[in-house]
Amino acid sequence: MDIQLKRGLLDVCVLAAIKDKESYGYQIIKDIKPYTEMSESTLYTILKRLENAQMLTVRTEEYGGRLRKYYRITQSGMKRIEEFKEDWKEILSIYKFVTKEDNENE
Amino acid sequence: MNKQEFLSRLKEKLPANEDTQECLSFYSEMIDDRKEEGMSEEEAVAEIGTVESVLSQILSEIPLSKLVKETVKPKRSLKAWEIVLLILTSPVWISLLIAAFVIVISVYIVIWSLLISLWAIEVGFALGVVYLAVYVVVFITQGRMLQSAAYFGASIAFVGISILMFFVCKKASKGTLVLSKKIAEGIKLIFIRKRVAQ
Repeated sequence: MDIQLKRGLLDVCVLAAIKDKESYGYQIIKDIKPYTEMSESTLYTILKRLENAQMLTVRTEEYGGRLRKYYRITQSGMKRIEEFKEDWKEILSIYKFVTKEDNENE
Repeated sequence: MNKQEFLSRLKEKLPANEDTQECLSFYSEMIDDRKEEGMSEEEAVAEIGTVESVLSQILSEIPLSKLVKETVKPKRSLKAWEIVLLILTSPVWISLLIAAFVIVISVYIVIWSLLISLWAIEVGFALGVVYLAVYVVVFITQGRMLQSAAYFGASIAFVGISILMFFVCKKASKGTLVLSKKIAEGIKLIFIRKRVAQ
C-alpha cells in the first residue's frame, strides 16, 4: 500500500484504540493486531507524532513497581476520527465507481 | 538478547537528545508488559525486532537537517590535541566538504538546466508560430499568396511540434521533480544507514 496513505490510516487506528478509554502501548498493539500488524517502532513514532499534534495526552503512572505510560485522546483527536469517517465515505463512493465495471462484467 | 542488552545497544546508537530516555522507557515498558503475559525476556525482546530495525524507523522520522547536525556533532567534547589536529588539517577537510557539497549542487543544476532548455525550445517553437502567423497576414495584404501559403504550412508544422514538445516538457518536469526528491531521500538514507551500521 502507498506509504503516505498507510501512515495516515495507522494514525487513525491508534486514535481509535484509545477512543473509549485511555490505554497503554502494549494494549494498543494487541487491540489493533486482529485488524492490522503494527510494530512497536511504528507505534512509537505514531504516538510521538499524535502527541506533538496534540491529538492525545500522555500520563505516567506506577504499575506493578514500574512506570507505565497511558495515552488519552483529546478533542482534536476525536475530531480527526470524525474527519476520517467523512473522508472515507467519499473514498468508498470513489471505490464503487472504480470497481463498477468489474462488477458489471461478472 | 536480554532487555538490558537491547536497551543499552539502542541507547548507544540513538541520537543524543531529549527524546532518548523517553524512547528507551517506551521499549522497556513494552518488554515488561510482554513478560507479564508469560513471555520470557528473550522472547519479548525478539518480538520487538532487531535494534537496527527499531533504529531505522526512529531515524527515518527525524528531518534530515537535524540528523546531519547530530551526526556531525561529536558525542564527547574534543581534547586539546584533537582540536589542534582539526585546525591543522582544515585546509584538507574543509575543501573536501565544499567539494562534496558542490557536487551535489551541480548534479541538481545539470538536471534542472536540461529541463529549462527543453522548455526554452518549446517557447521558441510557440514564438515561431506567432512570427509565422504575422507573416502569413502580411503576405496576404501584399497579395503574395504563394509565400503566404508556404508560411501558413510552416506555422501549422510548428504548432504540431510545439504541442508535442509541450507534452515532452510536462513529462520531463514531472520526472525531474521525482528525481530531485529521490536524490534528497537517497542522501538521507545514507545518513540513516551510517547511523544504523555504527
